Amino acid sequence: MKELFPRKQVMGFIFSLVLTVAALLVYFLDLSFALGMTVLLVTAFLQAGLQLVVFMHAGESEDKATIYTNVYYGLIIALVTIFGTLLAMIWGMV
Amino acid sequence: MKIDHSQPLEYGTEQNKMNILGFWIFLGAEIMLFGTLFASYFTLENRIGSGPSGADIFEITPIIIETFLLLTSSFTIGLAIHAMRLGRQKAMLTFFGITLVLGLAFLSVEIYEFFHYVHVGAGLQTSAFSAILLTTLGTHGAHVTFGLLWGLGIILQIKKRGLTVETTNKSFIFSLYWHFLDVVWIFIFSFIYLKGLM
Repeated sequence: MKELFPRKQVMGFIFSLVLTVAALLVYFLDLSFALGMTVLLVTAFLQAGLQLVVFMHAGESEDKATIYTNVYYGLIIALVTIFGTLLAMIWGMV
Repeated sequence: MKIDHSQPLEYGTEQNKMNILGFWIFLGAEIMLFGTLFASYFTLENRIGSGPSGADIFEITPIIIETFLLLTSSFTIGLAIHAMRLGRQKAMLTFFGITLVLGLAFLSVEIYEFFHYVHVGAGLQTSAFSAILLTTLGTHGAHVTFGLLWGLGIILQIKKRGLTVETTNKSFIFSLYWHFLDVVWIFIFSFIYLKGLM
């Protein structure tokens, strides 16, 4: 039975639960907007990185450079889209 | 067909490696797709017209339940792939089955949530906010729904053919898809719900 629950993945799961509870503190504690957003950004991106490395085995295969390049490319386009939109439509800086 | 036994079976042939890489490229495109939905959501979230705002309609309990269901299902599909690499077909199918049951439970809560939103007057046509909210959540929910059917198909195929070069490859690719949906949910959970309730 024990070999079916590898330590790395069990620890990964526990850590992801801890990150979720940490994110929930934003709701249960009365934080300022800036502090709350900081907490959410940190927990969400840590959580995403955790899934990628521990569960999706992103760094295991010989084409890992290609996989990471592709993920970073997708991520950069997504972030440019989101922050570009915020700049033009919400923050009114463009 | 040449099988490289120094690798896990799902990476065993050239075709398998290409399938996995191809799926990663698809996931890159999915990141951009959800990026555009989040960009639209952040633009429209305050355009509530005469309808309710996020803080008015979000309920924390179903959101927490959904998050834990999906996080746990992401863990169990990881365990399924681990069991698959050990050649433990029965354990693998058990973990795979648990994953889909958790996915179905997640979907049920989400459907309840949609009923709730429409019930409290936030339908698809109420305001720009309610439209982009339901579109973003619905796109994620549609992915989960598709994943349930896809996963069921893979389970049936493994039952029939066992763990082969093809079925392990499909299972691994499915696990990538499922973990990705969990990642998207984490961003929905953080930047739609918790930000809206803050």
